[in-house]
Amino acid sequence: MRYAPDEHQARDPLSGASGSATLRVHPSSATANHLMPDDLWYKDAVLYELHVKAYADKNGDGIGDFDGLIDKLDHLVELGVTCLWLLPMYPSPFRDDGYDISNYCDVHPNYGTLDDFRRFLAAAHDRGLRVIIELVVNHTSDQHPWFQEARQSRDNPRRDWYVWSDTDDRYEGARIIFLDTEMSNWAWDPVSKSYYWHRFFSHQPDLNYDNPAVREEMWNVMRFWLDMGVDGFRVDAAPYLIEREGTSCENLPETHDVLRFLRRRLDESYAGRMLLAEANMWPQDVRPYFGEGDEFHMAFHFPIMPRMFMALRLEDRKPLIEIFDRTPSIPASCQWATFLRNHDELTLEMVTDVERDYMVEEYARDPVARINLGIRRRLAPLLDGDRRRIELLNGLLMSLPGSPVLYYGDEIGMGDNVFLGDRNGVRTPMQWTGGWNAGFSTADPERLYQPLILNPIYGYQAVNVESQRRSEHSLLQWMRRLIRVRRSHPVFGRGTIEFLHPANHRVLAYTRTHESESVLVVNNLSSSAQAVEIDLRPLEGAIPVEMFGGSPFPRIGKLPYMLTLAPYAFYWFRLRWL
Amino acid sequence: MAAHSVLTDELVKQLIAVGQVDVLVALPTFHNASSAAGAARAAVLGLARHFPRARSALLHVDGGSSDGTPDIVLRASGPDLDREIRAQTLRTIQRISAPYDGLPTKATALRAVFASADLLQARAIAVLDPTVTSVTPEWIAALIGPVLRDRRDFVAPVHQRHPLDAPLASQLVRPLVRAVYARRIEEPVAGEFGCSGAFVTRCLADAIWDREMAPLGVDASLSLAALAGPFDVCQASLGPRVTAPDAPRPALADVFRQVVGSIFACMEAQQSAWITRDGAQEVPLAGEAPASLADTTPLEAAPLVEGYRSGLRDLGDLLAPILEGGTLAALREAAASDPLAFRVEDSIWVATVYEFAAAYHRQVIHRDHLVQALVPLYLGRAASFLLECVGKDLAEIASRADALALEFETMKPHLLRHWEPNHGGES
Repeated sequence: MRYAPDEHQARDPLSGASGSATLRVHPSSATANHLMPDDLWYKDAVLYELHVKAYADKNGDGIGDFDGLIDKLDHLVELGVTCLWLLPMYPSPFRDDGYDISNYCDVHPNYGTLDDFRRFLAAAHDRGLRVIIELVVNHTSDQHPWFQEARQSRDNPRRDWYVWSDTDDRYEGARIIFLDTEMSNWAWDPVSKSYYWHRFFSHQPDLNYDNPAVREEMWNVMRFWLDMGVDGFRVDAAPYLIEREGTSCENLPETHDVLRFLRRRLDESYAGRMLLAEANMWPQDVRPYFGEGDEFHMAFHFPIMPRMFMALRLEDRKPLIEIFDRTPSIPASCQWATFLRNHDELTLEMVTDVERDYMVEEYARDPVARINLGIRRRLAPLLDGDRRRIELLNGLLMSLPGSPVLYYGDEIGMGDNVFLGDRNGVRTPMQWTGGWNAGFSTADPERLYQPLILNPIYGYQAVNVESQRRSEHSLLQWMRRLIRVRRSHPVFGRGTIEFLHPANHRVLAYTRTHESESVLVVNNLSSSAQAVEIDLRPLEGAIPVEMFGGSPFPRIGKLPYMLTLAPYAFYWFRLRWL
Repeated sequence: MAAHSVLTDELVKQLIAVGQVDVLVALPTFHNASSAAGAARAAVLGLARHFPRARSALLHVDGGSSDGTPDIVLRASGPDLDREIRAQTLRTIQRISAPYDGLPTKATALRAVFASADLLQARAIAVLDPTVTSVTPEWIAALIGPVLRDRRDFVAPVHQRHPLDAPLASQLVRPLVRAVYARRIEEPVAGEFGCSGAFVTRCLADAIWDREMAPLGVDASLSLAALAGPFDVCQASLGPRVTAPDAPRPALADVFRQVVGSIFACMEAQQSAWITRDGAQEVPLAGEAPASLADTTPLEAAPLVEGYRSGLRDLGDLLAPILEGGTLAALREAAASDPLAFRVEDSIWVATVYEFAAAYHRQVIHRDHLVQALVPLYLGRAASFLLECVGKDLAEIASRADALALEFETMKPHLLRHWEPNHGGES
């Protein structure tokens, strides 16, 4: 199969063949003009997701802050990532790790001030790092002043900013997302004596996007941050903005109207900024969120993630081939975002029942690791700390279509603590050194927002940035090399993919092609050494050059190309016609 | 191809591509165009339905069919089926289809299958008979499940039959094996079975393939190797066994060579394993025992009686060095009896079989001639059984067959006595 952006819409910003290759910077976004002039920068991006609270604590209160983050930007530059995605840093009662926002136009005092944020943003931009932030559009905290006003009376001007009902039986077609905690999508408000609609936790009332004032206000929120210079938004829970009776209340045309409204406003004044959709759905259902290139620039491709883990455990390429078979093409200006792990559980919503049972049994034998429909573990513990498997999955992430998103700490193989409740076990302080509080904070350990990982395998004394920076063969150094190679070749971010079908199903092989550049990727998904013969006749005459060491391999001829791969090994070959 | 390899280069190439598997279903074919598709399809569906997590493969080896069998198997088990089972299975169900080297016999094919299974380190193997059209996906579960689940080494099938069907099995093979090997196994000679990787490895290491009669009766050789060796054997209920109308129907003489000759050869080779055994242990059955089929078309007794009489007459003195005088006299007496009252009594029949087996062991005459000489005597016994069962219900017929099996057990000392090297033929 062949997966490719819609070629008819293709615009090549590198060659400038069509369209503008210059960065159009809004006059008020003064911090962005040093960045590479490319509106499609996100197609080549390597994103890095982090919690401000978890990264570095400068003021010694036990909670990470923007000043601490500024101090660690050089680590991110050295790692090679190009765009930071900050998890919610807004004022919040923190009943959902900050996704319950009580003020959209400020930062939480735990992390600093708006001025601190501006300094952070400038420092990131100075280093060539873009920054995107969370935009929780679907709902607010019940502590948000908008909701507090709305509940005061039925004729309050803010009343219609949320979705109210006298009964709790409307929109029965909508599923309950947080099955472990919520019984209904309606919650009783004792103040106004009516029910309000919430797709997530009951303390997160949904905004009413049928009300134009809400759309306008959300655009004002976006403009507030865009004017400050942020490079984009990761838009949380995009599919749930509108409710209609007799539907699932997901992916409705009216929701797309809202999203196109926000995109239109963005394009009018803020070229080069990016919207990234969180829509945990099958790719064919996510496809409309790209619209005709007029909704989101990027969207997460959720189903790839569990299938990478599944393919590895099954030692079979079938799950990955199948999901790419089901992945539609997207507009040329758009891009998938892919990831191995993030701040949430390893979600198993987008798998079949058979697959889910298998994944849970293989990756979460201990029931305490399970939450909702997923597994609350970090990358390294999921893979038993096996460096070869960690490398292979990162190799897949970096070489398959899409822009990869790394989760903080996974570059050093941090562990987790499933006993911390909810998904907090994957949100523990970043491990910088083997010293006091892992170099995260000077506070007393008891004051840390969450305890450090202390066990002998993943504890901060064993796993930390400082020690891995000193070791040439550490995971951190390996990740730097991997990212460097990926970034050196736009084919990974922009190229088409064509899967090859060698008889050996333990081997996943594909070519990536962009303009005149072609790359051959061969992955051994198996725990044992494998021999594989690949039909490469269409590439006859090319000399494969291994991309990490630069070694040339025998020229491709008419006969099947024979390779042997060590357990979990992979090759990236640049194909040279010399 | 490497010298002495039972695997062709093409087969090795495909095996390398597949690598280690958990479950292997083998379909050895030779000119089975009319029937093999069903088994191939059932195999893939069975793997998908019952072993969705296993690393599995369908291994099709062909003896050089010129009727399009390989293409038919490939089509029946190919991409269309993949689309059908996509949601059921996690892994790719691998397909291997290649010719095997050597004469197109079941033994050659199974040797290639076993060698392939060994190379792939398969944990469980099911072998299907390409002439059988009643294979269902559940057969795969029944043959493989006990190996994976209960660590059995050999899974023999139990088919749903009418008790008057297959008189060779009910009158000779089943009771003989039961008494000699002291295991109550329903189908000691079956075209389909399940087995473990350990069993495969052991069989490859043993001289089983080179044994006398093995090329003809490999099914019996493998079953008896399981019963004789340190293997955990069980049975699995499969349902009715229906063969294709155009499936080869070998002459009775050839069947005797394949089945009875093989059993005698195995008894010879495995005497140290069975000679001290007595009684007959139950062999566990996975699943429920099948009810007997209600309908059958029994053989006609009269032609069998005639065959017996003429055979006995033609054999003349040939039987003298094989049988005791008393046994031979009783057989001749039966031949002279009134057709309606024709009987070959249990004790006479058991003595006959045992004395033939012992004579085979002692090589009193050419072994192939000896096996052929048993054919007319068997016809007489089959006729006797059919006449005896006229008007009896299913339970009574089954009970009658069981009585014969008990007689085989009871008279095992008779076999042992004749088995001794210095036995002169008379006692």
